[in-house]
Amino acid sequence: MYSIEFKTKNKGKAGQFYMLSVPGVGEAPISVASGSGRRLVFTIRSIGTVTARMKGSKSVGLRGPYGTYWPWKDNDEIVAVAGGIGVPPIRSLIEEMEDSKMTERLEVLYGARSPSDIVYKNQFKEWKKDLDIHITVDKGDSEWKGSVGFVPSLLKDSHFSKNAALFVIGPPLMMMNTVKEALKLGYKDDRIFLSLERRMECGIGVCGHCNVGQYYACESGPIFNYSTVKGEQELFL
Amino acid sequence: MKEVFAAISKDFETFGTIEKEGEVIFDKVNDFEHISEKRSRYAPKEFLIKRNENVLLLEEQTRRAVFGVKSCDLKGFYQMDKQILGKDPFYTERREKTLFVNFVCNEPCDGGFCTSFGGPILDQYDLQVLRDGKDYHIMVSDKFKEYFNDYREEGDSFFSRFSESFNSKMDVLPVDGLEGRMKWNSGLWKEFASRCISCGACNFSCPTCYCFDLYDDENERKREWDSCILSGFTSSSAGNVRKDLDERLRQRFYHKYVYFKKSKGEYLCTGCNRCVEDCPVGIDIKEVITHDYSIE
Repeated sequence: MYSIEFKTKNKGKAGQFYMLSVPGVGEAPISVASGSGRRLVFTIRSIGTVTARMKGSKSVGLRGPYGTYWPWKDNDEIVAVAGGIGVPPIRSLIEEMEDSKMTERLEVLYGARSPSDIVYKNQFKEWKKDLDIHITVDKGDSEWKGSVGFVPSLLKDSHFSKNAALFVIGPPLMMMNTVKEALKLGYKDDRIFLSLERRMECGIGVCGHCNVGQYYACESGPIFNYSTVKGEQELFL
Repeated sequence: MKEVFAAISKDFETFGTIEKEGEVIFDKVNDFEHISEKRSRYAPKEFLIKRNENVLLLEEQTRRAVFGVKSCDLKGFYQMDKQILGKDPFYTERREKTLFVNFVCNEPCDGGFCTSFGGPILDQYDLQVLRDGKDYHIMVSDKFKEYFNDYREEGDSFFSRFSESFNSKMDVLPVDGLEGRMKWNSGLWKEFASRCISCGACNFSCPTCYCFDLYDDENERKREWDSCILSGFTSSSAGNVRKDLDERLRQRFYHKYVYFKKSKGEYLCTGCNRCVEDCPVGIDIKEVITHDYSIE
């Protein structure tokens, strides 16, 4: 994992993505990790051809922002549930809500595979000062004193009502289990929002690669209301 | 029609269907007599979506008129308009500067099923031409009325009578409600997959397939026609949502008959039969429509 920061301000909102590129190599859709109006930051896992070559590249191309965003302004109680490396859009959300002095409306539940897999470890310590954050790991180590278990198990720790909006992002299985658990606990399906990852190429709904059923993830997503897409067969893939 | 052609060719760069080396292709034409009434070997998709081009530069396009497009092929553009017009700058620039003159087929073709989607007389067109012996009946959109100031206006009864007679000569397939009838776990997808060789001919021949791939090639960023049948179509660093061929074939048919219908209110198919004709292993999209899903 590595982060890159641009001098340009983020014209987008938390949850949206930009297309980043290495000239001659290609483009990749990356979610923005900083709040709206702040300098653009992306936290990237070096996993594909483009992201592997981006680290240390002399120039990086940028276009966007694209897609939908977390509807945090419409909700008084928000539980952000993030798994693994899905946390950058939540970092962006935290910054936006900090800038609007709205963090009392937010709780963050985060799960990583192990303590060493926690992204933004130092920033989490900072955020904890004025934000309700719960972190769990699938498997601890000798120094880990926090909770051990999968992310959905943290839902019961939320202080908010069951009318809270859930912003869910992470690996497909983690999102599926989170939604299942949330519905069991009484959260409303139209107040659950998912961030879906697909192969996005154009970012504007014309190249045809990123469909989730009848919707293109770059256009109607990446943030979807769960009640809109819950019937789609290819939802948690 | 000759005079109309001459007037249009003053304002547009004119193309038409011509017979060359045993194939009907689109090429530049200077007179109306050389335009063939036969259907082009390939759909005219390339007039609006190039097989391959650099997307870092969009040059202003010339105004073009394309004669001899068949209704089934033209209808494909009106369908894809619903998803990409106004969003894809390359498609939009060319779409707005191209006049299509569709020739209505006088007789049904073998295998075609356009009447399942309304038949060869289209509701939307620039110039729609129906030949009746030596006479031409033309439907013209408001945009191009100027070319017909000196002609007699007739009602649309000729077209509706023709439509009725044409449609009675071709079987209408049960497309109504298909979006609710198709089954995700139908055995049809696996049966097709057992024969499909992933060549992508169905996508490339289709007048409604608009998907493309973006990639970098040295100093250029290119777009190239893509195929949802190929495994790389949905493959990303996060994995592949359609690892198996039957899943990819199902996606193609679901896009045509379920997703597009739900999102745009219309099927993404014109009944041209091109995908059937070009499939090397005989996969017939008509089976997707006629298959009895209720017994599965």
